Amino acid sequence: MIQVLATNIISPLGFTTQENYQAVKAGKSALFCQEVWKGIPHAFTASLFSKEQEDRFLVPGFTRYESLVIASIKEALLHTDVNLHGNRTALVISTTKANVENLSMDAHADNSYSSPATSALKIARHLGFTTQPIVVCNACISGVAAQVLADRLITHGSYDTVVVCGADVQNPFVVSGFMSFKSLSPYACRPFDIERLGLNLGEAAATMVFGKDQAPHAAWKMVAGALNNDAYHVSAPSPVGEGAYALLQGIQVYATPASLALLSVHGTATMFNDQMESKAIERAGLSAVPVSAVKGYYGHTLGAAGVVETIVSMESVSDGAVLPVKGFIEIGVSGKVTISSEAVPTTKSNFVKMISGFGGCNGVVLYAQKEDFTAPVYQPKKIKTVRQVTITPQGYAIDGVAQAVQTNGKSLLTEIYKTHVGDYPKFHKMDVLCKVAFLAAELVCKDRPSTCDANQRAVVLFNHSSSVVADKKHLATIQKADEFYPSPSVFLYTLPNITTGEIAIRHGIKGETSLYILPENDASLMHTIVESTFALSPVKEMITGWVDCSDANLFEANIKLLTIE
Amino acid sequence: MEQLVLTLKEQIIETLNLEEITPDDIENDAPLFGDGLGLDSIDALELIVILDKYYGIKLGSPAEAKEIFTSINTIADYVVKNRTK
Repeated sequence: MIQVLATNIISPLGFTTQENYQAVKAGKSALFCQEVWKGIPHAFTASLFSKEQEDRFLVPGFTRYESLVIASIKEALLHTDVNLHGNRTALVISTTKANVENLSMDAHADNSYSSPATSALKIARHLGFTTQPIVVCNACISGVAAQVLADRLITHGSYDTVVVCGADVQNPFVVSGFMSFKSLSPYACRPFDIERLGLNLGEAAATMVFGKDQAPHAAWKMVAGALNNDAYHVSAPSPVGEGAYALLQGIQVYATPASLALLSVHGTATMFNDQMESKAIERAGLSAVPVSAVKGYYGHTLGAAGVVETIVSMESVSDGAVLPVKGFIEIGVSGKVTISSEAVPTTKSNFVKMISGFGGCNGVVLYAQKEDFTAPVYQPKKIKTVRQVTITPQGYAIDGVAQAVQTNGKSLLTEIYKTHVGDYPKFHKMDVLCKVAFLAAELVCKDRPSTCDANQRAVVLFNHSSSVVADKKHLATIQKADEFYPSPSVFLYTLPNITTGEIAIRHGIKGETSLYILPENDASLMHTIVESTFALSPVKEMITGWVDCSDANLFEANIKLLTIE
Repeated sequence: MEQLVLTLKEQIIETLNLEEITPDDIENDAPLFGDGLGLDSIDALELIVILDKYYGIKLGSPAEAKEIFTSINTIADYVVKNRTK
């Protein structure tokens, strides 16, 4: 359990948490239809910064995305006396595509692009952090996953303070990807409504500064959080909300449904998401808890969404109100939920934020303002390595023993597949990063049936290059307006956590699946994250390690299967 | 028509990365989804891209395209009637 020391939201609705909350409370929406925008051949509705707003947050020498992160963190830190020096404060950034708008097909043309991890390091040093930053890249759940990580890092004792910043900006790369999935609504989105047509994208950054819980104190506390995977499909949620239901059920150990002022849903206004969430809510016995959904004000701000929506929920509960669900008129989901287009007063002091995303992942966090909850117990575990596999373009080794190979480079991956798998045609559809991770996971699990429950098994991967190979491939499909054919199966792999989802589906893993991007292959930092994950989650078995792919022929995996003694 | 059917099969095999499958393996009237080729929801979206890119046919959503995507024959029929390039 940790305490919230300060927050900030920078969005087209305002530059501080208060400005944002007051705008939302007044019913303002930042969603506008973009008829012609940056070469995109179709109109779409989104929440985007104006030129004037951009000029306010741009920092010389930094990209638009980086400037936004810096501005949000700086404003949040104004309200605290946190010491960034001395190695006791961590920076955790949650983002899906970071600087991708600066990525260029021509390696020599543009040098403003830097990968999410390199960019995070640049931001961290500029702001004065002395520790290594961690980027959480779990598609739409990143913002909630980052809060869960903050809780673990502080409770583990490695840090006193964690600054979480969720941020994403919009660009043709991201918009075209969502277009290829037919996920975008041409109009302002209608969460949970019968006439919903899809989501709207949005730009924002939001920061939460967390410290150790110092009771008694009236501050907001993040009591508990958890992540899991549906192991159902990489781009569609389980129709009955299997994973989301399990999380909503699990969180009730720490607070009763009667104590909840609201349940902040993902509410993207896509057909499948909202329906799935309604089923999960009903199944978990939370039908009577008022639903809060803010995509009608902000759009889907991707890596920022989990943080923005948690902060808005905090402000709303502090203000004694559940805000109207903008865009909602008539119920269009089959699960029973309490949802309203009017503001509803509340005197309760706890809330739950739920979220789901591509890769089959789900997340949940519980917040409390008073003493109406039970906190989870931190239980350090003895971890042991069952098997270790390394794969490089030159060969692969199991527990340090090099295996005989006939090929190298990309062909080596096909060779390993044919030798050890052979019956999973989906393998051929994966991108290189995913293939490497998939094969390493196959080899660490081979001939060793798990003895754990599905929800006790996890996949936690680390890398440096994010999904840069897939990113360039997707970029190539949208270079010219008259040859604008973004491909959903290419765009999918530009979310590097899809890799963890593919492994979860293959092995029936329904516990946590996470992908962290780090400035370097840092064994000590990875150990801290893994150790604290075991200690503050139901996980008993984990496929984990480093898997990086900076070029189609340049890959590296060092994956272990861990269990607890 | 025969040529179009073959071209469609080749485009589908290449775009969907159907490794170890040749045009001869795909029966013209066998279901593409479910039991047949076992395609899924992302493949359906990918078929929409194929129709747009090679034949200038714009389809709104997989739901709208469901009947068109029943088999190779139904796709070929639709392409013949609606192609703009």
